[in-house]
Amino acid sequence: MSTTVDLEAEVAKLIVESLHLEVQPAEIAPDAPLFGEGLGLDSIDALEIALAISRRYGFQLRSDDERNHRIFASLRSLAAHIEQHRTR
Amino acid sequence: MPGRAGPPRARFPMPAELPLLGRAADAVLVRRTAGLPAGQAEAITGHRFLAEVALLSARLPADGAPASVADDAPAAGGAARHAINLCADRYHAILGFAAALARGHVTLLSSDRSPRRLRELAAAYPGAYALCDEPIDDAPLPVVPVSSAPQPGGMPAGATAPNPAIPAGRVAAIAFTSGSTGVPVAHRKPWGSLVTGAGAAAARFGLDDPADPATVVATVPPQHMYGFETSVMLPLQAPCAVHAGAAFYPDDVARALRAMPGRRVLVTTPLQLRSLLVAAEGATDRAAGERGGSGQGEEGQDEGSRGTGGLSLPPLGALISATAPLAASLAEAAEAALGAPVLEIYGATEVGSIASRRTLAGPDWLPYRGTTLRLDGAGEAWAAVPGLPETALADEIALTDSGGFRLLGRRADMVKLAGRRTSLGHLNRLLNAIPGVQDGAFMAPDDLERNPAARLAAFAVAPGLTAADILTALREQVEPVFLPRPLLLLPRLPRDAVGKLQRGTLDSLRRGALSGVPAFP
Repeated sequence: MSTTVDLEAEVAKLIVESLHLEVQPAEIAPDAPLFGEGLGLDSIDALEIALAISRRYGFQLRSDDERNHRIFASLRSLAAHIEQHRTR
Repeated sequence: MPGRAGPPRARFPMPAELPLLGRAADAVLVRRTAGLPAGQAEAITGHRFLAEVALLSARLPADGAPASVADDAPAAGGAARHAINLCADRYHAILGFAAALARGHVTLLSSDRSPRRLRELAAAYPGAYALCDEPIDDAPLPVVPVSSAPQPGGMPAGATAPNPAIPAGRVAAIAFTSGSTGVPVAHRKPWGSLVTGAGAAAARFGLDDPADPATVVATVPPQHMYGFETSVMLPLQAPCAVHAGAAFYPDDVARALRAMPGRRVLVTTPLQLRSLLVAAEGATDRAAGERGGSGQGEEGQDEGSRGTGGLSLPPLGALISATAPLAASLAEAAEAALGAPVLEIYGATEVGSIASRRTLAGPDWLPYRGTTLRLDGAGEAWAAVPGLPETALADEIALTDSGGFRLLGRRADMVKLAGRRTSLGHLNRLLNAIPGVQDGAFMAPDDLERNPAARLAAFAVAPGLTAADILTALREQVEPVFLPRPLLLLPRLPRDAVGKLQRGTLDSLRRGALSGVPAFP
């Protein structure tokens, strides 16, 4: 499923704002890893992002989703997951 | 320095050997929901567990010499073989630990599974192998895959596997703390100390009645000392079962709890508890709103659910929190929402869990059975735990007349976040060592111990560098949880006449940079 660039930008803004990151949303490369070597997010951030996503898009993230690694692999994959599951 | 070990003090009577499985073999150790319809769980008994331990331990690499707590260098000649247990599924983690233990191999507990940390461990523990239940990229050491096939019919008729007797003094696991210099410090866990600790915790939390077995759902990884004690050692030694699957996000936790029968005990952290409560509130808000409770309701609402939204929580027997002090406001909200007492564990990686309290009952902690605390002449607190050398604590405490203690604060400049510990001095040295940084300082905000989402702040004078440059340099050496937010660049640091940093000024700058941060709840 393809995701609009608009949603990627919106999710980037959500991440930067909810985590108070030192980067501009536009600086998050859509294909770069969000965790570890890329943006350097950690498990505290994962919980914060999950809360922000549930508030904004009306669904809950889960860890036993087989694609979980891929969902958080990059901004693009996270946005695609949101596009598929959003209820608002 | 905290974590320093003294000579063994009071001797606690300890049998020479203790069985791997300290409970009835026909009882349920683990309940697993993965791959099953919502609300259902597969029960794994001690019989099946022991049979799978025998199968897995036969597949492990050749032994070294079993380690005893008296050994020094881990890499000394003839040292034990070490297993890095990376299993994500909790049953696999228990199985891997038990199989290694049965062979005399020492489990290394590392919740940091970054390639860099694995390379460090592989170098520090020659001959180490990894136990994995998921593929691992570029593993810097041999990998032994761990799996367990569901066996609905139980063990083949007549099959019995031995319950290995483990010497109480054998080092079963090694846990790590960051250490004040950033070099991880190893803390050896003899089998006897782990078994007595599990027994003391089970007695304290009412998890010791075979007639009323509870099921533990833990949100903390089995590779962290707190998660290891509560979700690996407890089901091995106390009459309770543990949920096998991942329970990290609020929705995971809610679904796992709903699928567990009987008395449910949630083992979690302040951060995850806060997320769970916010998500449960949000679900209620959604259900009340015009959109109704749609979206997450496909699993159906199980028995006894609370709340009306997608994130409904069943009644709990108890909730246990550790890794950071729990704010009374959060404990109060949790008791109201979950209808269960909120209990806290006090512990440290060096000594394990040693005391508990009910948060709303007041500030006093009651030490576990067998644990004694004392203050030395310098006011430093020492904990004597059965089976371990007496160990200095990182916190300042005051002993109470009733045999308990109160926490007065963290010693020196230690900071603890997400169950990890470091010192501001160490972070400041790293910051000031970055080429281009002329002056710099980390600051722990006042609410670091109360606000689960709090982070360290840092300030730097570094003309020619951006905050992103500095963060990139820090990221090479600092665990992500300790990276500063915000990191503010200043023309100079606000210092008073004697050069001491003006904390008030720094804190206003920090608050300014974070304005708009939602506080709990």
